[in-house]
Amino acid sequence: MPALLIMMFAAGWVLGGNVAAFAATKLGDTPGEPKLSSVYPFTGQRGTTFTATVRGTGLRDATSVFVNNAPLTVTIEAAEMEAPDDATPTAKPKTPVDLIRVRIQIEGSAKLGRHNIRLVTAHGISNSLPISVFDQPVTNEPAAAHETPETAVAIDKLPAAMNGRIARRGETDYYAFHATAGQTVTFEVISGLPSTGAPGGNANGFDPSLALYEQSGSWFDPKRVNRIAFNDEPLWEIGKGTDAYLVHRFAKPGDYLVRVDAFSGQGGPDYAYQLRMLAGESPQDRVAEARNWEERKYERRLSADRLNELAERGGKPKEQAKIETYRTAATPALFRLPGTLEGSILQPGEAQRSKFHLDGPQDIAIEIETPDSLPPLFNPIVRLLNAAGQEVATNVFAGRGLCTGDLNKSLQSKVIVPLRDAGDYTVEVRDTTSDFAGPGFRYRVLVRPQIAHIGDVKIEEDRVNVSPGDAKSVRVVFDREEDYRGAVAVTVESLPAGVQALAGADFEPEKDPPLYPGKRERYTPRSERLVVVFTASADAVITKQPQLVRLVVRPIVDGKPGAVVDMKEIPLMVVAKP
Amino acid sequence: MRTVRLVIFSLLAVCCVAAPQAVSLKTIPAEATLQFAGAQQQFAAIANYADGTERDVTDEVEWRLSNPALAKVVGTARIAATGDGALTVTAVLSKGVQSQASIQIHGSQQVRPFSFAQQIGGILTKRGCNQAACHGGVKGRGGLKLSANALYPKDDFEWITKGGTYQVLTAEVKGERVPRIDLKNPEESLLLTKPTMAKPHGGGKRLEKDSEDYKDILAWVKSGAPFGAEDNGKAPKLARLEVFPPLAAMPVDGQRRLLVTALFTDGHREDFTHQVLYSSNNADVATVSADGVITGKRLGETAVLIRGAGQVASAGAGVIGASIPNYPEVPRGNFIDDAVFAKLKNFHIIPSEVAGDAEFLRRVCLDLTGTLPPPERVRQFVANKDARKRERVIDALIGSPEFVDYWTFRFSDIFRVAIFANGLTPKWSQKYWEWIRNNVETNRPYDEVARERISAEGYGPASRHFLPYNQVGPPNDVMAEEVRVFLGRRLDCAQCHNHPYENWSQDQFWGMAAFFSRVFKMGPVVFDHPTNMDLSSKDVNGTIQLLHPRTKVPVQPALLDGSQANLTPESNPRKELARWMTANPYFAEATVNRIWGQFFGRGIVDPVDDFRSTNPPTHPELLAALAADFRKNGYDLRRLMKTIAMSRTYQLSRASNATNKDDVVNYSHALPRPLDAEVLLDALVDATGIQEVFSTAVADGSSVGQAPVGTRAINLKDPDMYFSRFLELYGRPNRGAIPERSLHPNLGQALHMLAGSTYADRLSAKESRLARLLHDGASNARIFEEFYLAAYARFPEPDEIQALEQTLAKRSDREAGLREFVWALTSSREFAENH
Repeated sequence: MPALLIMMFAAGWVLGGNVAAFAATKLGDTPGEPKLSSVYPFTGQRGTTFTATVRGTGLRDATSVFVNNAPLTVTIEAAEMEAPDDATPTAKPKTPVDLIRVRIQIEGSAKLGRHNIRLVTAHGISNSLPISVFDQPVTNEPAAAHETPETAVAIDKLPAAMNGRIARRGETDYYAFHATAGQTVTFEVISGLPSTGAPGGNANGFDPSLALYEQSGSWFDPKRVNRIAFNDEPLWEIGKGTDAYLVHRFAKPGDYLVRVDAFSGQGGPDYAYQLRMLAGESPQDRVAEARNWEERKYERRLSADRLNELAERGGKPKEQAKIETYRTAATPALFRLPGTLEGSILQPGEAQRSKFHLDGPQDIAIEIETPDSLPPLFNPIVRLLNAAGQEVATNVFAGRGLCTGDLNKSLQSKVIVPLRDAGDYTVEVRDTTSDFAGPGFRYRVLVRPQIAHIGDVKIEEDRVNVSPGDAKSVRVVFDREEDYRGAVAVTVESLPAGVQALAGADFEPEKDPPLYPGKRERYTPRSERLVVVFTASADAVITKQPQLVRLVVRPIVDGKPGAVVDMKEIPLMVVAKP
Repeated sequence: MRTVRLVIFSLLAVCCVAAPQAVSLKTIPAEATLQFAGAQQQFAAIANYADGTERDVTDEVEWRLSNPALAKVVGTARIAATGDGALTVTAVLSKGVQSQASIQIHGSQQVRPFSFAQQIGGILTKRGCNQAACHGGVKGRGGLKLSANALYPKDDFEWITKGGTYQVLTAEVKGERVPRIDLKNPEESLLLTKPTMAKPHGGGKRLEKDSEDYKDILAWVKSGAPFGAEDNGKAPKLARLEVFPPLAAMPVDGQRRLLVTALFTDGHREDFTHQVLYSSNNADVATVSADGVITGKRLGETAVLIRGAGQVASAGAGVIGASIPNYPEVPRGNFIDDAVFAKLKNFHIIPSEVAGDAEFLRRVCLDLTGTLPPPERVRQFVANKDARKRERVIDALIGSPEFVDYWTFRFSDIFRVAIFANGLTPKWSQKYWEWIRNNVETNRPYDEVARERISAEGYGPASRHFLPYNQVGPPNDVMAEEVRVFLGRRLDCAQCHNHPYENWSQDQFWGMAAFFSRVFKMGPVVFDHPTNMDLSSKDVNGTIQLLHPRTKVPVQPALLDGSQANLTPESNPRKELARWMTANPYFAEATVNRIWGQFFGRGIVDPVDDFRSTNPPTHPELLAALAADFRKNGYDLRRLMKTIAMSRTYQLSRASNATNKDDVVNYSHALPRPLDAEVLLDALVDATGIQEVFSTAVADGSSVGQAPVGTRAINLKDPDMYFSRFLELYGRPNRGAIPERSLHPNLGQALHMLAGSTYADRLSAKESRLARLLHDGASNARIFEEFYLAAYARFPEPDEIQALEQTLAKRSDREAGLREFVWALTSSREFAENH
């Protein structure tokens, strides 16, 4: 029976028919909840069936695999407990690790890419891990070690896909292949335990590295293999993927080696990977972004219909004008608001300028898109100058750091500016450095009036396991952009019997204010938080299978709900108390 | 053996042959110009003898003037002008052994224009008043501050004529100002009463009341204490001091006179021999008189420092052994040998023989690749009869991947690849490491490498070195490091005050630092903040400017030579600095010296990055020639290394002879050098056949990493990630600053050798070289030979084999005995050193 809950946020107070003051328990690593750490192998060719081992904790009594409409059929074949690793002493007692053998059948028509699976147990549903569907045969690495050039696994033809695992720290996996003169090959290593690129790269996933070697020997060792190409991700940023990708053209024919290992030498049973080798140059297989809306990513498309998109997120009708595009050139272009400036920084140190006129005070927003080359390679500084040439705004956020009090600056893809004076204004675009430029330094700068709206929405949890009489909370965090002051409604649909969704609250720990916040309000939206509390009644029926509940977020303006701005389906189970 | 025989013969000759006869005489200078009343010129006479030696005979010759009406001899070989005209001065040693010099005199009745800088500054320098230990110290002494060596005469003039106490952190004068001169009662001037001890003076007596210097100061005060000719900025200034001879050789108790000539900005020259302060760097080896006469005390080499008004120069002083009448002809490989062997001959030192093939091979492998040659390569090389086999092996080594490994490691040390030094993330430090490796692998011209590192912007790998702890490093620190790395100079002292020993001023320091003052970080991007844009920081804009710590005035970028850089507010000022630095002669000098130091264990200037006038090169001509060759050949590091390795000097044996056994600075024989910690560990791995395991942290579950098996210590990209007891004990630096490796042995090393896992685990490992040989049923002799080749790169001598067999025979457990043999071999100095 579907349940409906409306929670409303408006200017700091919470409204709702069923307001409950739950001191909500944050979801996450609840003891006893099933948790997957890896699946090996995690890739397969569509139309095939293969056996994989799911590794994790709390999985011993797994009953089924939840695929949520993925083109997979996954059945559990066996379960066992992993032999404890006594060789690695740890300070804390180890949680027993379970190994679940599953048979995965991939439909012949399956869409290529990643499809998530979860395990269903008596203690609830697990987190998800991806199964990657490939359109070529996939081979598993042999059981024997292939850590040296001499024991390298031969790859006879391209394309090739190898499932492997860096099973222990410091392990390196070698694969041997032949290349012809002039041949271009794309190499890719996809991690089955995606890293978030945390500093050190050693605790938050598996960050694979790959390198190519030729067997050219040396004066000291005729058998030495010598590195000819290497790739770790060229751009590294916290939160970005760290899978390895390399395109190499072989100048001479011969036998070569590709080596896979983990950045900084990590390893373990969860460090599964797939090595792909494709003839020619192929684009990197990036994990698709799951987010519906990205307010501040340089790669977001600033379309001609941007104003209507924003209006809709602000609960307003889509009655805005289309945005005109202007090409910038050596001489300053004249444009009218709203307008998108398009150009490229072709010469180092070059600055491109455009002008617009304001008849009176106006609050404007400047948004920047860099379609071809993202920061930190192309780092566009956008300055807004008044008629006297004075800087009235930039996309550079300046403030003082908490630790040292030093001046920090960061480049932002959006800035809002209250302009109080009528007159001519100049928009200047340049690269941060004076050394770099090129056709890839392409920008699109949208200058427009501000439109209050809901920005990014983040629903922080991806599963709910709740016992009868207990409660679990899910946070919904959203950004109030451009002074959005309307309410926000979160509805929860498709709740199972005996489960309710209530409005709740939790409390952020207090933080010290920054030493010097700068003009933070221009660059950072105010984030607000709602808490949805799922409660199971004491007589709620224990569920055998998860039920997908849907959280839907809408703006509410002038007492009317607007269009859906975000939605997320979360599996929920009512489970017996541990 | 040939040289040894020659040495014995030569030494016998010294005992049996009578003192050689002078065959020619040279007068220095050959010509001189004297201007103004009282102008003088100091001469020296150098005799050449039949055995090829030379000796200073200035005191022994008779000095005759062709026209006594124009000049007079006022001291030993010191000629003073009395009238205008030309004359000849003749030095006569003996019949038929004489030489002449010409003198032009003009303006002899004309009073020299007064210059505070030269005359008063010169006296203060010559009398030692402005030395670092006295009034030339940071804050001066006793309330009087003087610039070191009168480098800043305007400042000195101010302090002397107006008084006041120097403040380090402000240019404001605090407290009562007491002038050091008394215009009403000139004789009562503190500048006169203190150094003559008429009033108490902590520095003791520095001036006699009847001295010319006293009279000059008094006359200056009486004349109203003017600043003098330089006040209008047009008068010529003293540009530098020139010393003859640059390198003085003399026997014990022998003497050599220095002549000091001042070169002025208008091109004219003046004798300054008696207007400077002399000091010996090592008075145990040689002393120097106030007149510039060096006296040898014991065999050795030192430097004599010469301080004039605002300038410092130096001369080498070598106290040499007995002359060698039949000095052998030593073959030369290239220009390096010309310079080294010429000095050795001058110093009566015969170089050692060329090293044997095995000795050479081990040395060159370690120096070029940080790797021991494998036994089979040693056998092949020793057996090879090819006359050019050394050149061929040098080429092979320079072209080897191990060369890339080793020099990536070396430059990662100098350039400081470390996680904390490169943004606190291994992603960035490894990116920086890869940049270095790529430069080494492609043999990129070193000037390009330097320019990129100094001026790196954006997200480029070289820019990561500007981000210690993920913050932009202070401009003063960054600049001092770049100058030390690429110009071999240590300017650090000058950041707080004018350098007390060198001609670097605080203004120069901060002018250079200002090139880095705009370096800014925006996210991961490094750039130079424009000075004409607020970029959101109008209210905190002051941080973009660099303020002089003393004057609090914004500092503009200025090059070390004082010239202002041509910069725009939006440009990268470091590009201009990088261009200037790599075009500066210091750059090539510092680079070749650094590389030279790697091959010989000491630089021509040593430490290799401490060029200063008080630390002169042992072989200035060689340094200049190497630098010129490096410049001419496109700053090619591989070529430079090959040139060094091909020289006979580099290939000399470590075995010394009677003439060179005490020599440690003239490259007359190879000197043993301890292997760096990483190289030693890799050598241990190679010799024993057991790999080292490098782990990233204390074991705590999955967060621990480990370098791939087989990773060599020199190949660790982020050494600070990998703990190694062995590497710490043997002096691995943490790269927190430019590494200065500690190569001194310590007790920890000894204990580690005895009981440490690095040795013990290898001895008992089943996969070791020894285990393999035993498994193959190898004889003792074969095992001895194999390990000698693997560890020492040579065959064991028969007596060594005999001793080993005897020792082993006493052991009931052969395998245990052989393990001890391997331990002894790898614990020995011969193993742990490059020689």
